[in-house]
Amino acid sequence: MIVEDDPAVADALQALLVGAGHDATVRSSAESLFSSAPPRGGDTVIVDLGLPGIGGAVLVAWLSALADPPRIIVISGKSSLTIERETRHLRPVQVLRKPPSADWLEAMTTASPPH
Amino acid sequence: MSEARFESLLDTAADGIIVIDELGRILAFNKSCEALFGFTAVEAVGQNVKLIMPPSYADAHDGYMENYRRTGHRKIIGIGREVAGRHKDGTVFPIELSVGEAATSEGRQFIGVLRDLRQRKAVELRVSQLQAQIMHMTRLSAMDEMGAAMAHELNQPLTALMLYMQAVIRQSRAAPAAPAGDKVLGVLEKALAEAERAAGIIQRMRQMVEKREPERTRIDLHDLVDEVIDLSDFVAQGSTVTIRRSYRDKHKVVDVDPIQIQQIIVNLLRNAVEVAKDSAGRWVEVDIGGDERVATVSISDSGPGLSPEAAQTLFRTFTTTKKSGMGLGLAISRSIAQNHGGDLSALPGGDGRGATFTLSLPIGDGARARRDEDTKG
Repeated sequence: MIVEDDPAVADALQALLVGAGHDATVRSSAESLFSSAPPRGGDTVIVDLGLPGIGGAVLVAWLSALADPPRIIVISGKSSLTIERETRHLRPVQVLRKPPSADWLEAMTTASPPH
Repeated sequence: MSEARFESLLDTAADGIIVIDELGRILAFNKSCEALFGFTAVEAVGQNVKLIMPPSYADAHDGYMENYRRTGHRKIIGIGREVAGRHKDGTVFPIELSVGEAATSEGRQFIGVLRDLRQRKAVELRVSQLQAQIMHMTRLSAMDEMGAAMAHELNQPLTALMLYMQAVIRQSRAAPAAPAGDKVLGVLEKALAEAERAAGIIQRMRQMVEKREPERTRIDLHDLVDEVIDLSDFVAQGSTVTIRRSYRDKHKVVDVDPIQIQQIIVNLLRNAVEVAKDSAGRWVEVDIGGDERVATVSISDSGPGLSPEAAQTLFRTFTTTKKSGMGLGLAISRSIAQNHGGDLSALPGGDGRGATFTLSLPIGDGARARRDEDTKG
């Protein structure tokens, strides 16, 4: 599942994942993710840190707190300092920077899920 | 993950975060909320959320929740708005509130993120008080900030474009012999649209920065510089940096666009004051001089000077030694000076001497003659 407010980034990421044979749905905000069935342990949720309204960091904290938490990958175009500040207090998550410096699909599929 | 673990995660967030159930009972109240409202989590959890609302909101809140439960009609969920909060001591203050709704195994929960708007409001008021006076002179600073915003904006189409290309490359690699089907073509078209979106952003930026023909007026450089210094003194009230004036000749008449030249001087003065602020001397000196053909305005400071590396890239766009800004200020300043037939140069200083920036402008009709020549060429 992709939670990203920029429609083009969300669509491109979905194209990349679907092309590689994954199921990928898109939510444009934390609020719209809340309104559907919560993700489960086997799922991966890609969260944009700079979501409008309820921010990406709060969403990541909420997802981490689920009884059966999904794997979480954070994407962000913010500066490394801001990313560090916003994710410091979260359980360690994989962070991918915008614009991509490498193949994102490879980065997402090869990295081991955080513990 | 346990509820306790969730709360400890929330406790480290900079924003106030509150979770309530569908009856309005507080389930989680993080540390930032404690600071914001003066209640401890122990006092707040289990209470109705009306605890932290001024009476006018509190009276209506049960009605809102009941109405939402009955009709599903949303007044705030998923929208976010400015509301009022109430501190334990009774103080009512503005907050920005975003609310999300989540269905959990324990029932419906509402997650609210709250941000104190008091400081922002105070800053907004101060800014609007000063804005009228300095608006036409701070355009360079606005451009610098706009540059930062645009870089941020460029990030999105660039990310989308690269992901589309990664998708196409993967598909083509998987089936290299297959002709590009409609699907691949569709992705490529979307990639092109994203490249065009990025180009549009660059285009807007170019239009903003591109050279504009100066609206020239004959003016005494002393008057022009005096006005900027007086204004800078006013804006920097309370600053410990002294701005000294050292004018060598009585008059220096130039034929320039006063607003554009003042923008350059404001920019140079602001940079100099910022550097001088942290130095022992805490002074900035503005010197007006030159000869019969060229007038110069030099701005020196008591700072440590520029490193050779910084001096080399000083006038390059997107190069800055400052924490904020994109380094557009000096690049645009030089382009304005050159557009007037003049120039902007820097002596880096160092070894106990501060940097000196010199703006040179052709005197009197010299500028006009040079421009006419340019037009002929």
